[in-house]
Amino acid sequence: MCDQEGSPAIEPVVVVSNERVATSVCRIVLDAPRTAATVEPGQFVHLRIARHADFILRRPFSVHRARGERLEILYQVVGRGTRVLEDARSGDVMDVIGPLGHGWRIPEGTSRALVVAGGLGAAPMGMLVERLAERGVQVALAQGAPSAGRLLARDLFDSLCRKSVVATDDGSAGTCGFVTVLSAELLDREQPDVVYACGPEPMQRIVAGQCAGAGVPCQVSLERLMACGVGACLSCVVDTHDGLKRACVDGPVFDAADVVWDSGDEPEAV
Amino acid sequence: MSSVDMRVRLGSLELRNPVLTASGTFGSGREYADFFDLARLGAVVTKGVSLESWSGNPGPRIVETPSGMLNSIGLQNPGVEAFCAKDLRWLADRDVPVIVNVVGHRADEYAAVAERLEQESGVHALEVNISCPNVDAGGMAFGTTCPAAAEVVRSVRAVSTKTLIVKLSPNVTDVTEVARAVEAEGADAVSLINTLLGMVIDTRTFKPVLARGVGGLSGPAVRPVAVRMVWQVSQAVSVPVIGMGGITCAEDATEFMLAGASCVAVGTANFMDPTTAIGVVSGLERFSEEHGVERITDLVGAAWKTK
Repeated sequence: MCDQEGSPAIEPVVVVSNERVATSVCRIVLDAPRTAATVEPGQFVHLRIARHADFILRRPFSVHRARGERLEILYQVVGRGTRVLEDARSGDVMDVIGPLGHGWRIPEGTSRALVVAGGLGAAPMGMLVERLAERGVQVALAQGAPSAGRLLARDLFDSLCRKSVVATDDGSAGTCGFVTVLSAELLDREQPDVVYACGPEPMQRIVAGQCAGAGVPCQVSLERLMACGVGACLSCVVDTHDGLKRACVDGPVFDAADVVWDSGDEPEAV
Repeated sequence: MSSVDMRVRLGSLELRNPVLTASGTFGSGREYADFFDLARLGAVVTKGVSLESWSGNPGPRIVETPSGMLNSIGLQNPGVEAFCAKDLRWLADRDVPVIVNVVGHRADEYAAVAERLEQESGVHALEVNISCPNVDAGGMAFGTTCPAAAEVVRSVRAVSTKTLIVKLSPNVTDVTEVARAVEAEGADAVSLINTLLGMVIDTRTFKPVLARGVGGLSGPAVRPVAVRMVWQVSQAVSVPVIGMGGITCAEDATEFMLAGASCVAVGTANFMDPTTAIGVVSGLERFSEEHGVERITDLVGAAWKTK
C-alpha cells in the first residue's frame, strides 16, 4: 500500500460541515479534492485551523473516510485548537498538508482481519475497514469507549464488518470493561491473519502483547505531539528496535513488534 | 525578474538572497523538497551535527505556548559521518549553498566535526551552535560565558577555512559581550537568536509538560526580543549578523534587516507553513521594489543608521 502513497502538498480546503457525533467528539467534512483522491487508509493530514491565532502549530488528524472530493475527520474536543475547530462553520477556509505518513498495510493473502479501536482510535479505522471490505477480507472489529455515547461510526462498522462488537467502561453498551477483553477473545475465536489497533497507548501495548503471544502480526497507529509533520523537527519520535523513528513520516502506523513499548504503569488496564 | 539586487555576503560566501532556514526547523532540506525548489533560498542551514550520533531527549519534546512553542529535542542526529553520507550527498545535487550547524559536548568535539566537514566541498559554511538550551553538557553552556564561547570558536577556527558563523544564545545578560568575544576569535558572522529558556507546567499533573522540564521558546512570541538583540549586536560588531526569531513573513524579515541583520532565517514558521521562507524571499523583493530599494543590503541597519 505504501508505494501508492502520493507526495504531500499544501491544499486549501473548505469546510462542508462540522457537527458533534458523540460526546465531545465532532466530525468535520472538508472539501479537499487533491488530498481526498490520494490519501490511503491510515495516513493523516496536518490541518492549519486558523491563521493569525495565538496558537501557531498545525494539528495532525487521521482521515476517517475519503469520499469523492471530501475528507471526513473525527476529532475530540480536548484543547485550544480543537475548541476553535469546533466553531468552524460551513464555508470556512483552512488548509491541510497531506496526505502524510505511512498508513495501514494489508499483507498479501490476508483473508481475515481483526480491528481493535479504543476511543478516538476508531477514527483511522473507517478507511481501513472500507478498504478491507473492498478486498474481500473478513473483518471482525472490537471498539471500546468510556460509555455508549462515546462510541463512533457504529453504522459504518456494523455494515462492513462480519462481526462488530463493543465494550464500555461503564457497561452502558456491549461488554462492561476494556476493549482488550474483546480483542483477546476475538484473537482466539476469529484466527485473524492480521490485527490493526489504534487507541490509547496502554491499550495498544496490551493488544500488541496479545498478538505476539498468538503469533499474529499486528499494526498499530501511534499518536505523538507533532510540529512539522514532514520529518524535519524530530518532535514525534517513537522508540523502536531499529532506533528512533518519526511518527509523521516513518509512521504513524508501525509493526507492533518493532515498537519498544513503555513498561507501563497501568496494570489496571488489562 | 526582480530589479532588486538581492545578493548578500557572509565572509567569503556570496548568497543569492538573504533568506536562510533556521537550524533544527528544516531537517536537511530534503523534508521540504516536496513543497518548493530549495535553490530559491539564500542557503539551507541544516540541523545540528555532532561527532557521534546523539539520541536527543525523551518525549514529550514539544509543547505549544502563546504565539510560540517550547522544544527540547536535544539535537538528535546521526553523527557527522552519516550526515555526510546521506543528507549532504543529497544536498550536493541541489543548487543551494549549505551551512552545517555544528554541535558538541566539548570544544574538541566541535573541532572534530569541523575538521571532518573541511573535506566536504558541498559544505559552504559552518554555524557553530554554542546556544542550544536542550543539552546538559556543552550547547548553551558555551554560549553564556565569553571565555567558553571564545574557546569553542578558536578550536573550530584552527581547523576550518570555511565561513564561520557563530549562533548566539539570548539567555545572557549582555549578548554583545559574547558577540565581541567570538568576533575576536575569527568568526565571520554571528546568528541570533537561539531559543529562550522556558517552561510550561501541566496543572492537572502538577509536572512540567516537557519530559526534560525546560525547553527553548521560539515563534512569533520571541520576535521583539530577537529584534532588540540584533539591533544591539549589529552595532557592537563589524561582522554580518544573521537575524532570526519568530519570522513569519517578509514584513517580519524587513524588521530584522532594519535592525541590522544582513541575512534572516525562518525557523518555527516552517512548521506553520512549509513555504514561508519562499514567501519571505519574494516579499522582500516586492517590498524593496515598492520602496525604491536597489540593493537589499541598503536596508541593513537602516533603523539605527538614520536615527
